[in-house]
Amino acid sequence: MAIGVVSGCTGNATLPPGLVVALDSEPQSLDPRLGIDANSGRVADLLHVALTRSGAHAERVGELDRHWSHVDPTTLVVELRDDFRFADGTFVTADDVRATYEAVRDPATASPRRAGLEAIAAVEAPDHYTVVLRLRHPFPPILEATGLPVLAAADVRRPGVPMGAGPYRLASAETHEQIVLEPNPYWPGAPPRTSRITFRIVPDPVMRVLELERGSIHLLQETLEPEILAALGHESALSVRRSPGSSVAYLALNHGDPRLADRRVRQAIALALDREALTRFALGDAGRPATGLLPPDHWAYARLPPPRHDPRRAGRLLDRAGYPDPDGGGPRPRFRILYKTSSQPSRRRFAEAVQAQLAQVGIAVDVRTYEWGVLFADVRSGNFQMAALTWVGVTEPDHFFLAFHSSMLPPAGYNRGRYRSPVMDRLTTTARYAATPGERRRWYARVQRRAERDLPVIPLWWEDRVVVHTAALEGFEPAPSGELRSLVRAWMR
Amino acid sequence: MSVRRRLLLVLPTLAGITVLVFCFLHLVPGDPVEIMLGEGAAVADAATLRTALGLDRPFGEQLVHFLHGLVRGDLGHSIAFRSPVANVIAARYPATLELAAAALALAVVTGIPLGVLAATHRAGALDVVARTVSLLGVCFPSLWLAPVLVLVFSMYLGWLPVSGRGGLAHLVLPAVSLAVAMLGILVRLTRASVLGALGDAHVLAARARGAPEWLVVWRHAVPTALAPVVTLVGLQAGALLAGTVVTETVFAWPGIGRLLVQGIGARDYPLVQGCVLVIGITYVAVNLLTDLALALLDPRLRDDA
Repeated sequence: MAIGVVSGCTGNATLPPGLVVALDSEPQSLDPRLGIDANSGRVADLLHVALTRSGAHAERVGELDRHWSHVDPTTLVVELRDDFRFADGTFVTADDVRATYEAVRDPATASPRRAGLEAIAAVEAPDHYTVVLRLRHPFPPILEATGLPVLAAADVRRPGVPMGAGPYRLASAETHEQIVLEPNPYWPGAPPRTSRITFRIVPDPVMRVLELERGSIHLLQETLEPEILAALGHESALSVRRSPGSSVAYLALNHGDPRLADRRVRQAIALALDREALTRFALGDAGRPATGLLPPDHWAYARLPPPRHDPRRAGRLLDRAGYPDPDGGGPRPRFRILYKTSSQPSRRRFAEAVQAQLAQVGIAVDVRTYEWGVLFADVRSGNFQMAALTWVGVTEPDHFFLAFHSSMLPPAGYNRGRYRSPVMDRLTTTARYAATPGERRRWYARVQRRAERDLPVIPLWWEDRVVVHTAALEGFEPAPSGELRSLVRAWMR
Repeated sequence: MSVRRRLLLVLPTLAGITVLVFCFLHLVPGDPVEIMLGEGAAVADAATLRTALGLDRPFGEQLVHFLHGLVRGDLGHSIAFRSPVANVIAARYPATLELAAAALALAVVTGIPLGVLAATHRAGALDVVARTVSLLGVCFPSLWLAPVLVLVFSMYLGWLPVSGRGGLAHLVLPAVSLAVAMLGILVRLTRASVLGALGDAHVLAARARGAPEWLVVWRHAVPTALAPVVTLVGLQAGALLAGTVVTETVFAWPGIGRLLVQGIGARDYPLVQGCVLVIGITYVAVNLLTDLALALLDPRLRDDA
């Protein structure tokens, strides 16, 4: 409604200097050891640097490190660049890296990132610009953990917001209102072209869009309702950008339920869903039907056949699984299933679409909506049959181990559906410890084919990264992970 | 009831609020440690943190610990913000007070005169306008009204900012959207109350003495009619504080209403308890002030004080 009415509005905002970016909630923490939510990450990415960062295909590319090498399967040697400096002008050295990693590994810090560094036995700094990571056992996915922002050694025990060596430094932070960044004068790359970036916290989605329309916010990066997105696309003062993202939506199925433990039933549900139509319904053209967890742009992606929609075959599979239609297409269902979802309106509407499609093959779906915390607690404790969930930011394919290995049932990992398969256990374990990128790619291709056959979850769609910004913003390139580092090269016309 | 007795009731009221909120909060599913550390946290780390936060203790023990801290003036440590709850709330409370006070002042300053005018111009055009305003105010939920106000005053006219906290201009729309419902109720009650008072013997006597009509209304009828209105204002102050939860979220107003929503989402038990307690204390304080005001307005209420 808002969009339709405001077209051609006359509002003339008084803009703060620089660029204003909207955030839907305040970052959990400006200390990157503690903040792991998306908004903490977006701010941290401009304030800090790490040994490596995620590349365009989710591969690790060097940032602080000039070069890394595995001298043996349990020793990773990282040579640092010598031109990075913190916001106070001091150089970033191996001591800073060691102190940061040690602080995160210290249980007293209670850092959510600690689990990612579990494979590390010791961090050494033999000289100013060399870091040695000694692992407890060979663990190639450790590179993902090298995305940890590096703090100044002098800062790690000090209370308050730690200083970074990123392209920007903190100018002021009223985290519940706004966070203001200004360029780090010691940034070794080209100086940031935007002299000031303000992150404004605007929790209401309608208000964020209105602020954008009015020009008091310049950039918005989030999932928008398809109709809002379409309307914003017609605004000449705005630019809508879609690019491949790294999040995948899926239907979680509880394998503890005897019906859903039957692969034929899971296949029938997958065949009954028209995932192309569901994706369009949920996201418009801002998503693609998913064949698995990894999107096509990912380095480890394996090409798989597109999802099929075949309700007749779904019906035959259900017949064979022992769930015949009791009244041959009449109102009585083959069985009922409980579908839990969050109370977000778009999620509710999507649940109704799934309900309608599964009704076509005789599966009655009872939809229940819950506040997110309650839904998540139910899913983690196995108190669900079917639930619509999203894995956000799937970059390291070791995610398959955490999500599908039988030892990774909550609270140990993400195997929320209690899926157990000796074959998948073997595949994900072998892939996890495969040493070379080529081997890893081969093994993860087998994992993906197995997941497509076995359906531990039903992938729904890969969500595009949607950014709407003022047309006056030049030079910004959205990243699959949602990070905003390219704002360094952006400027306002 | 006397002011002294009211004061004596404050402590059990606040204790009741605290215990109830504590119980309800712990009944809601959701694990603050999992939310804080993320799904990938090691089981041992989660257990360590749970112990550090005292969440592994029996429910009764946690309650006693919390009450013990409260008696010493310690609201505990926020799980999500990793800092003392008192500090987190202190940073937001002024914003909520500012908003609630503005909304209250707006409702009172416009609602009472409008109600009086509606009563003195019964069945006239002013009465119709006042009753319509009152009806609309009661009917429009702030969740709907807020975006409409923004569309008109920020987007079409460009007079006011859309959201956020800053100068007076930022305060207008949140305060109006919060005040409208209270305004509607105030107009109706004031109108009815003044209409009743206009028929009182002392008002008739004033008229018989030949006092001018404005003096009859404002000197004799209105003060008598204000007692139920003041009571209502006190009660509605509670509704205003509750309303800030929605208004602050919609208008990106950084007060404790929004903080409360965040605290619930993060299952930050100490923070939610702290917020509810502060809102409770404010509510009780406003009601005490209401009683004092009533005692000033009506000497009969001072008898047993």
